[in-house]
Amino acid sequence: MVDTEHRQRSPFFTSRALAIRARRFGEVARDVLRNPTTTLGLVIIVTLIGLALLAPILTEPNVPDAYQMPRDWGALNLPPGSPDHLLGTTSTGGDVLYGVLWGARTSLQMSVIVVGITMVVGTMMGSIAGFIGGKVDEIIMRFVDVLLAIPELIFALAIAAVLGPSFANIIFALTVVFWVKYARIIRGQIIHVKNNEYVDSARVIGDSQFNIYLKDVLPNSVTPVIVQATLDMGNIVLVGATLSFIGLAEAGLAEWGVLVSEGQAGISAGRWWASTIPGAMVFLWALAFNLFGDGLRDVLDPRTEGR
Amino acid sequence: MQIREYIIRRLLILPLIVVGTSIIVFTIGRVGGNPIAIYLEHEMTQEEVAELEDRYGLNESLPVQYIAWAGGVLRGDLGYSGVAAAPVIEVMPRRIGATLELAVASAIIAVALGIALGTFAGARRNRLPDHVTRIFAVSGAATPTFWFAIVLLIIFWVNLGWFPIGRSDAVIFASISHPTGIYTLDAVLAGSFTALRDAVWHLALPALTLGYGSTAIITRMMRSSLAEELNEDYVDAARAKGLPERLVLRRHARRNALIPTVTVIGLGFGFLLQGTVVVEIIFIWPGMGRWMADAVLRGDQATIMAYVLFTSILFLVVNLVVDIVYAYLDRRVVLGA
Amino acid sequence: MTVSTREPPAAKTRSLVASVDDLRIHFDTKAGVLHAVDGVSFDIFDGEILGLVGETGCGKSVTARSFLRLIPTPPGNYAGGRIDFWTKEARHSGGAPIDLLTVSDSEMRSMRGNRIAMIFQDPGKALNPALSIREQVVEVFYQHRSEELLDGWSGGAPRAIRRAASQRSGKFEWLAFKVPPLRSHSRRLNRRIDEMVGDALAETQIANPRKVMASYPHELSGGMKQRVMIAQALACNPDLLIADEPTTALDVTIQARIMELIRELQQSHQTSVLYISHDLSLVRRISDRIAVMYAGRIAEIGQTQEIFHDPRHPYTRGLLAAIPSLAHKRGELAAIEGTVPELIDPPSSCRFSTRCSFATEICGQLDPALDARPGIHAVACHAYTSPQELGVRPDQLPRLDRTVL
Repeated sequence: MVDTEHRQRSPFFTSRALAIRARRFGEVARDVLRNPTTTLGLVIIVTLIGLALLAPILTEPNVPDAYQMPRDWGALNLPPGSPDHLLGTTSTGGDVLYGVLWGARTSLQMSVIVVGITMVVGTMMGSIAGFIGGKVDEIIMRFVDVLLAIPELIFALAIAAVLGPSFANIIFALTVVFWVKYARIIRGQIIHVKNNEYVDSARVIGDSQFNIYLKDVLPNSVTPVIVQATLDMGNIVLVGATLSFIGLAEAGLAEWGVLVSEGQAGISAGRWWASTIPGAMVFLWALAFNLFGDGLRDVLDPRTEGR
Repeated sequence: MQIREYIIRRLLILPLIVVGTSIIVFTIGRVGGNPIAIYLEHEMTQEEVAELEDRYGLNESLPVQYIAWAGGVLRGDLGYSGVAAAPVIEVMPRRIGATLELAVASAIIAVALGIALGTFAGARRNRLPDHVTRIFAVSGAATPTFWFAIVLLIIFWVNLGWFPIGRSDAVIFASISHPTGIYTLDAVLAGSFTALRDAVWHLALPALTLGYGSTAIITRMMRSSLAEELNEDYVDAARAKGLPERLVLRRHARRNALIPTVTVIGLGFGFLLQGTVVVEIIFIWPGMGRWMADAVLRGDQATIMAYVLFTSILFLVVNLVVDIVYAYLDRRVVLGA
Repeated sequence: MTVSTREPPAAKTRSLVASVDDLRIHFDTKAGVLHAVDGVSFDIFDGEILGLVGETGCGKSVTARSFLRLIPTPPGNYAGGRIDFWTKEARHSGGAPIDLLTVSDSEMRSMRGNRIAMIFQDPGKALNPALSIREQVVEVFYQHRSEELLDGWSGGAPRAIRRAASQRSGKFEWLAFKVPPLRSHSRRLNRRIDEMVGDALAETQIANPRKVMASYPHELSGGMKQRVMIAQALACNPDLLIADEPTTALDVTIQARIMELIRELQQSHQTSVLYISHDLSLVRRISDRIAVMYAGRIAEIGQTQEIFHDPRHPYTRGLLAAIPSLAHKRGELAAIEGTVPELIDPPSSCRFSTRCSFATEICGQLDPALDARPGIHAVACHAYTSPQELGVRPDQLPRLDRTVL
């Protein structure tokens, strides 16, 4: 998956290189927006992030912990459309709208933290495997194979389960599971470059390898890494919400999965809103990032499978 | 003969991967969690806790602990499940039966429906049925199983009352014997139509829910494969022989389009496995997933480890079968044209 | 604007197999309507090989495929004209032709592979990689000669066998063929299939048909695959064989053999052949007549020797001059200047005028017609029209000098 047409050998940080990149970005942006479904995804993403960021303004943060659902024993199980509670309330009097907005915040935190850490860890591991090669590479890649052999949710579930229910443990578990693909991408790039540019002299190795890294590997990895990160933003929340639904987060947390779990009980009594609405948010979030990520991939690497 | 080598190589790697997975989960569990949490009771004294720790070998080094556990597994001792209040190995067979029934039913639905829908859409490229199918396919992979299950439950159980919850009606279930542990099979073996009906009726909604995501993945792949194949020369050549369009589609285009689709079936099964926990919780299905959910909440590490082993072995075996089928189908790949 | 000046075909010594009259095929593209074939007329006579030559994009493949109505109809559409086709029976009894463009779908299907057959450019791609040779060749028998498959049964074959022979078996009927009593019948059917397929393959000089039958396409060489295609095409003794660049994808050494084979089989089956190619010198070896196509139109058509000894259209001359040969003086290869014009909004001028070294004003205004009367060497070029017909002075017509060939 190497974009050989756009291999850039220019140094990373000159102003000319940056100008080229800026122009390229503009082209990519235009191509991306040309596709209606991709644009739709982007619009939803922006909306969701906006809601997340504006949560403290749109609703009154709960005290002492804004991330705990507020309890209002006087307003239990109100349906959507009730005064003061646009989307209704839960069985403990929590405002569903509050849950939606602060849940968006939680999801944003979750995905950004996990994607951030996994990108760094994955890049590091991939670089080590690629540069050092040999035994180290073998070991790391076997490790990667093992990790990829297990379905993501089950693995994250097992890890979070043995650690105990907490939001932090969920994040840890997700991190352990999701770093692998980045390692693969980076390593692949390094191997590709290595096959093309073999540097002989031992003295020069220390220096040029780093330069090679900056000039060849990084710029060309940017694309697949970005696509992967976008898709991960969606899937991390999907898996994370499932984990919290199963019960691996703190009770009463303002998180979509927790809300669905707590709203479950009211289904047979006809109280659909406490579980359906937060669940729909998870769907929207995952859908948006998937649509946008797929669209990005189509534009940045049209040779991949698809339509 | 390359196929045989391929199979052998994959079979050898399989246990390594299972071992690797178990090491990772085991280590994280021992290091980060409290393995005997489920055995502790509130009123225990320090000494009693220390005694428990000693009994379960928690004071040994990590590798020793792992070997002890692994040795136990190979002997058939998977530990004691606090949740089920019984040895794991006793509880597992029943649970596995229930989950397998659900997984297989969902897989059959996903594959059959996925191929049918994909073919339907691929043959009508860019017309309305295709667009609708594509929307379904894309959203399917992004749909959280737990939400989808609840929505379906609300519509079909709470409001319409078409389907029941749980695995069976207790009375009907008790009326037949259960040699295989798989309700539908047992009903067929017992020749009881009531039991069969009961089994299928309870199986329908969970299986549809569980199969939804996988159906979407398979549909997507099948559709794009078929659309590609329809552009190939041999399709025109088949038409030029005077074959009716349905035969051109079925015998020529679809058969070739199935080949890349098979690779996605393994992926789809992974999707499916992941959904079992959630589906079993929501539909109150007495399988491995539900057991795991309880174990998760109460820190029952023995069960958790057993579940991890079970799912990773199952997943790897299914993928191996899929890859072998693929290698067999795509003769060009294996025999090297 | 073209004016077709064809007379009704004379009922002379040779009868017509097919007659294309003002065929137009358009494609809807994002950039507009592409006039891929824009008024093509020619005849194919009984027992002849007609070569249709032109560069990539001139519309020759599209023309060929329209005989079997293989053009996908979005985005293509049959915008005008007719393709009249006379079957053997129609020719003998003096009956009327059918118009291939308007005939019903089921009739068209009964003609495909049966009265009109087609062989494709890349046999590797035109054969289904997932099916064995036998499985693919037998399809034409199932479709068009199923009664012969059922020959071996004295009292008539069981119904299930009859269904199988015409590809109408039920979904799980194949299971029934595994058990007696149907099993022996099914074996008999298979032996008959082996016979018929083997005979068809043997006709194309395939040395061991049984082995080839059991093989898959990727196991065979290019030449072998093309023989299989030819065998399949001629299996039902068609009246017309359309060969779409059958040797382009083959090695040069095999090319000659395959062309030889086509010529022999054409004789023995008394089939007419429409041979498509971009290679003029190749087509010369096999065709009785040649039609040169350019930008969706026929530029010139006539007997092969005439085309080569007396090329009339400037394009044909350019093509011939571009063929490297030992007779040429040393120096550069002559190439025709310019490129094929856009077919999206075809001009009303002569299509070749922008590249023609002899073009005059009239060429830039009016598209010359092709006088496609049978038996004459026809050209679509103003240089061969009389000035009176066009209402111009003689000096306004282009004049071709005798260019070096």
